[in-house]
Amino acid sequence: MKRLAGMILAVSVATGAAGAPVDYARDVRPIFQKYCYECHGPEKQKSGYQLDVRDVALRGGESGNAAIVPHDAKKSPLIRFVSGEDEDEQMPPKKSNRLRLTPAEVQTLRVWINEGPAWPDEFAGAPKAAEPHWSLTPLVKPTVPRGGANPIDAFIRAKLAEKQLAPSPEADRQTLLRRLYYDLTGLPPTPAERERFLSDPDPKAYEKLIERLLASPRYGEHWGRHWLDVANYADTHGNDHDYVRSNAWPYRDYVIRAFNEDKPYARFVQEQVAGDALFPDDPQATVALGFIAAGPWDHTLMVTVREDTVDHHMAQNLDRDGMVSAVMGTFQSLTVHCARCHDHKFDPISQREYYALQAVFAGVDRANRPFGPDEHTQAARRQLLMTQRALQQPDGVLLATLETAALKAQVAAGEAAWARREAAWVPFEIMSIVSTGGAALTRQPDGSWFVSGPRPERDTYIVTAHRRGGKLSAVRLEVLPDDRLPQRGPGRWDNGNFHLTEFRAFAAPAGAGEEAKPLRFARATADHDEGPAISAAQAIDGKSETHWGVHPRYGEPHEAVFELQDPREFPEGTTFTFLLEHQAGAAGHGIGRFRLGAGDAPLATAPLAPLPAEVTAILRSPPSGRTPAQRQAVALAMLKMENQRALAALPPPQLVYAVTRDVPPDGENFKPAAQPRPIHLLTRGELGKPGDLIAPGALRCVAGMPPELVIADVSDESARRAALAYWLTDERNALSWRSIVNRIWSYHFGRGLCDTPNDFGKMGGAPSHRELLDWLAVWFRDEAKGSLKALHQLIVTSETWKQTTLANHGTARDGDNRWLWRQNRARLSGEEIRDTLLVLSGQLDLTMGGPPAVQFNSHGDATFMSGGNPAFLDYQHFDPDAPAARRRAVYRFLFRTVPDPFMDALDCPDGSLFTPVRGASTTAQQALAMLNDPFLIRQCEHLADRLAASGGEPGSQAESAFQLVLQRGARAPERAAFATYLQRHGLANACQWLFNSSEFLYLD
Amino acid sequence: MNATAFTRRDFLGTLGTGLGGIAMASLLQPEAFAAALPHHPPKAKRVIQLFMNGGASQCDLFDYKPQLIARHGQKFDPGVGERVEASVSVPGAVMKSPFAWQQHGQCGRWVSSALPHLARHVDDLAFLMAMQSKSNVHGPASYLQTSGFLLPGFPCAGAWISYALGSLADNVPAFVALPDARGLPYNGRSAFTAGFLPANHQGAIINASAPQPMTHLQPPADATHITPASRSEGLALLRELNLAHAAERADDSRLTARIASYELAARLQLSAPELLDLSGESAATKQLYGLDQAETADFGNRCLLARRLVERGVRFVQVWSGQGGGSDNWDNHGDIARELGAAARKMDQPAAALLVDLKARGLLDDTLLVWTTEFGRMPFSQGSVGRDHNGGTFVSWFAGAGVRPGVALGQSDEWSWKAVEDVTTSYDFHATILHLLGIDHEKLSFRHSGIDRRLTDVHGHVLREILA
Repeated sequence: MKRLAGMILAVSVATGAAGAPVDYARDVRPIFQKYCYECHGPEKQKSGYQLDVRDVALRGGESGNAAIVPHDAKKSPLIRFVSGEDEDEQMPPKKSNRLRLTPAEVQTLRVWINEGPAWPDEFAGAPKAAEPHWSLTPLVKPTVPRGGANPIDAFIRAKLAEKQLAPSPEADRQTLLRRLYYDLTGLPPTPAERERFLSDPDPKAYEKLIERLLASPRYGEHWGRHWLDVANYADTHGNDHDYVRSNAWPYRDYVIRAFNEDKPYARFVQEQVAGDALFPDDPQATVALGFIAAGPWDHTLMVTVREDTVDHHMAQNLDRDGMVSAVMGTFQSLTVHCARCHDHKFDPISQREYYALQAVFAGVDRANRPFGPDEHTQAARRQLLMTQRALQQPDGVLLATLETAALKAQVAAGEAAWARREAAWVPFEIMSIVSTGGAALTRQPDGSWFVSGPRPERDTYIVTAHRRGGKLSAVRLEVLPDDRLPQRGPGRWDNGNFHLTEFRAFAAPAGAGEEAKPLRFARATADHDEGPAISAAQAIDGKSETHWGVHPRYGEPHEAVFELQDPREFPEGTTFTFLLEHQAGAAGHGIGRFRLGAGDAPLATAPLAPLPAEVTAILRSPPSGRTPAQRQAVALAMLKMENQRALAALPPPQLVYAVTRDVPPDGENFKPAAQPRPIHLLTRGELGKPGDLIAPGALRCVAGMPPELVIADVSDESARRAALAYWLTDERNALSWRSIVNRIWSYHFGRGLCDTPNDFGKMGGAPSHRELLDWLAVWFRDEAKGSLKALHQLIVTSETWKQTTLANHGTARDGDNRWLWRQNRARLSGEEIRDTLLVLSGQLDLTMGGPPAVQFNSHGDATFMSGGNPAFLDYQHFDPDAPAARRRAVYRFLFRTVPDPFMDALDCPDGSLFTPVRGASTTAQQALAMLNDPFLIRQCEHLADRLAASGGEPGSQAESAFQLVLQRGARAPERAAFATYLQRHGLANACQWLFNSSEFLYLD
Repeated sequence: MNATAFTRRDFLGTLGTGLGGIAMASLLQPEAFAAALPHHPPKAKRVIQLFMNGGASQCDLFDYKPQLIARHGQKFDPGVGERVEASVSVPGAVMKSPFAWQQHGQCGRWVSSALPHLARHVDDLAFLMAMQSKSNVHGPASYLQTSGFLLPGFPCAGAWISYALGSLADNVPAFVALPDARGLPYNGRSAFTAGFLPANHQGAIINASAPQPMTHLQPPADATHITPASRSEGLALLRELNLAHAAERADDSRLTARIASYELAARLQLSAPELLDLSGESAATKQLYGLDQAETADFGNRCLLARRLVERGVRFVQVWSGQGGGSDNWDNHGDIARELGAAARKMDQPAAALLVDLKARGLLDDTLLVWTTEFGRMPFSQGSVGRDHNGGTFVSWFAGAGVRPGVALGQSDEWSWKAVEDVTTSYDFHATILHLLGIDHEKLSFRHSGIDRRLTDVHGHVLREILA
């Protein structure tokens, strides 16, 4: 009643004493002015919304939703906001502490809207012609200013003149040489290379050197490392348990190769986003997908935590968020992830668009993905996998072909082979069976045994059996699914697994008192093993700490075949005893249902996955009596088996940790998406509030680019990524081209033209030389055809790049060197320091590629390299002379949560966040690392040995050390001081101080 | 060089105002320097945080619920129509604590028999009885409780405090982490990371029981060519070389900072042996901390070390109880009585000793002692006698500088399943710690990747209810 009264009052106020309609100028605008204009008026237009301009006020801001719905106040978001129905959406915002509209004023707006709203033309206002943000404008090639042979110099000098600055002179040849070597290869020149360059009279000596360095494989290793920073690459998953990611490294090698081969940039992008779809038979294009998967992955949330929990669903969302962030941050320099919970606060990116990008990746997970090893195999495997998918979900076309003669013959041949194989196995006749752990064993109609009751920590099933006489060459243990078992078994543990520690067999001749003799096995093979260390072979290795298991393939039959060392005749009446031991590991991992068979023929091949029970039942019935449905089931099963045999016969693929839809399920919680997962807009990023279903799409803020993706078949997840890959590499996509040239520039100058290489949005840096950036982008796209080597060449031949780093008049005017009146001094990176130590100590091993070089000792899980987690890592006591220590730093094993303290102190990224720009800190930890690290000290000793071997008096030894480490001769006082020092404390100490010098650590 | 030219802020990093370091400072730490710190007069000068790694069970330690005893063994049905989720198991039956409960102190706090020593000091503690996490999983929940974010890469509280305040002396780091002797906690060294803050703010790790407690503090033992003389003469040589190099590049403050960094390093090397040497501590002190018993020796050793560290000017010390992985921590899925009992025995006496010792030395007046964990555990069983993770409610406590003793804020529901009254979060927890140190959590920020990041994200309230 009270509320009603309030409304009547409000209405009377709103319509005015005389009952006149609401007048915009008199009644409405004052409200907007008083409460709204500060943020949504002539000065500020938060979220692109302003209430002083009619069109914008009605149409709405960046969210794309109309704010005012004519004649319907109830549906108008404006009313919802100002009335404060939802505290989180209320306007002015709760946090602003600004005065709120009175109920009467809200009612005035309601009436005004319901009546029209009437907004006279004279007050319509005009939106300020907002200048589009620099990065979102179309790419137009600017005219090169006069004043430099190299367009870079022309642009830079024009700006310098404008700022009343002058360029610095070229650095001396020695400085230039050292700078160029590190810039392009991350390594110092050798004395011979130095000599060659400094004494080369050819005026083109510098250009020749650039060509030589760009052609060196060292170039790809160095620039590949930059790219790995951007991709956030590491060899472990990160997070709480930080398991090893055994197959990350092929992607690292791909990156190095791509740089060395100067892969055109558009192709480089396309491969990393959708190489599998766009270049399906090129193994390297599949490896490139390691990019999307390179960042951290929460194993616990994705695999351990139950699938039906909020945590697990949130993890999937954040997993896709990581993929979207990687792709859009790297290739577009946009922070789209800021729009996960709400429209982007600073850039014109809506939450809807963000989820459209998530939808692009809705069909993939991060997992090991097979590739190659060669194009032919890759193509063959792709065909077979397509067939396999088709057989798993047969459509009408496929089912029709089953009736063709060719397929019928193939099925018949398969059935005959199956029958021959099955005939080789005769079930044992079980005499007694008992569980030492007190479990109950009951016989099933098919001759198998079902286990129920207690699940003790240890359990051995003791089976005694007979068979008719004859030769025995192998025993088959079938482990079978059953609806009564967790996850349908075949194990008894919650996840459906079992741990068969040991399988033992004994034979006792007939007659009382005869002793049972153990039967020894030569080999054990299974259709499926959990891994090389959890295979059937572990069930006959005599060790109680190893076992066979079938994780993650639950709910299906498996079998292990145990071949006798000594196949021979056993007369009828022999008593066989089998022990199925479950001794170790986690408790309760007994087999849930099994059958034992005897075989008398040697086996040609490893066992194939047994057929489902339904199919074997049909196969055991006479063909003439089968129904059409049964015939179809048999045909499909046979074709699958044949397909599987063909797959198994291919040369084994390599694996790369990448994205894929063909994830082998890992436990109950981590399962592949049969179809791309539905993506909903999540209000405030919360799962509890799913909004509209969102289709895959891109951004509308990129000038010249349509926001839609052209996707042939949205049910094909790879088509979604392929569409995005084309969108990203479209010639019109200005962001892509600006992004890469700026990124490359930033590594050459220590700072980008835009100094936030991953953020070209409003909160990122403004470009210092916008025209130059655009000119470079267009030149790189059109003339260089995406060749990064051409871009390097253009940059390092510019006068701008070759300037000295020394101070001059510019220091006072532009101490920050924003206008590039000199070159920037750079500290060597951790990798450069480490690699240089190895070069000078003569220990560097230039082997390229392969599994990561482990440069730490580990204790605990010895199998950690295949996906485990060592309990302790010790970098400090790792032998600095071990072969792994001698590899280039780009190949070292990168452990996300336990980084190498030496490299950590030198600002190498730890793989937790994308690192578009590295820090270069100066800290006491760094000083301590340079003073006390065992690896560094050992390399100093090696260098000392090299110097000592060439003999000479202390002064000349000091001179040699200066020449090698600092690449210059020692000045007389330095020479004297070092000679004295090395006489007292040896060459190794002397060398170490040179490595600690600023002159070594910085590049002029 | 004048030793006093270093400000406390500069330790382990870069700066050195005496060496043209003001330019340096602005180069490396723009935001922190712009903010006037402290924002208000601090109550606490330093913080010791005891972190129970794995999710300490609130309903077996501090959160007494008669319902769990009354309904022991019955199906868990909180009756709120909300789905009961456990992260790695199927929810079991209601399970009472295997430990006995009793009220303690003037304030009458309930504490279980798992913590007999701490129980004697409840009148000194201020409890947060209804803390809530956003995650039920160690990795994200630990990140949340150490850094305020669920994902890796964000600076930990200690790093923020180092960044804001530096250390109290010029020969110790501002932020020290003391991991369990058995191994690093969940998230490894990321648990003490400086994230995107300058690298010098990351937690200096002291492995208290290792032969070389600090990485790179000394040269390896087999480098016999390195002697005190080779070092001192060499440092002089290096200084000459670097001064000459810097003189020609006088505008580059990084080069002068580098010279300073070696002097700072030398000072740390000099102070460390005394810092780590417990031989000067009395037998009574050692006994108080439980150094004489195998079970309490490790945590006791590190609690005592924590006291020595704050005495010598360290700003933020984090003492970890429990390693990562599946055992030897507070992640008691299998058997609460056995596993949590053992974890509690290792922690209880040393933690209580630290409180007593700080108090006796007058340090508690301006030292904040905080006890926390990443989440709690479920009121129902996992397997038969274990408990699964529960982000819904958990307990932390504060003691010392600026803290109102003997109070408790918030309550969980009748099951200790979810926090329901005066619910607090990691944001409130960190806002309160910063507040006691004189820092406004909304003003301490750092621009990263386009966003002004804070320890408290965009949340957090200072918990005035537990402040004196």
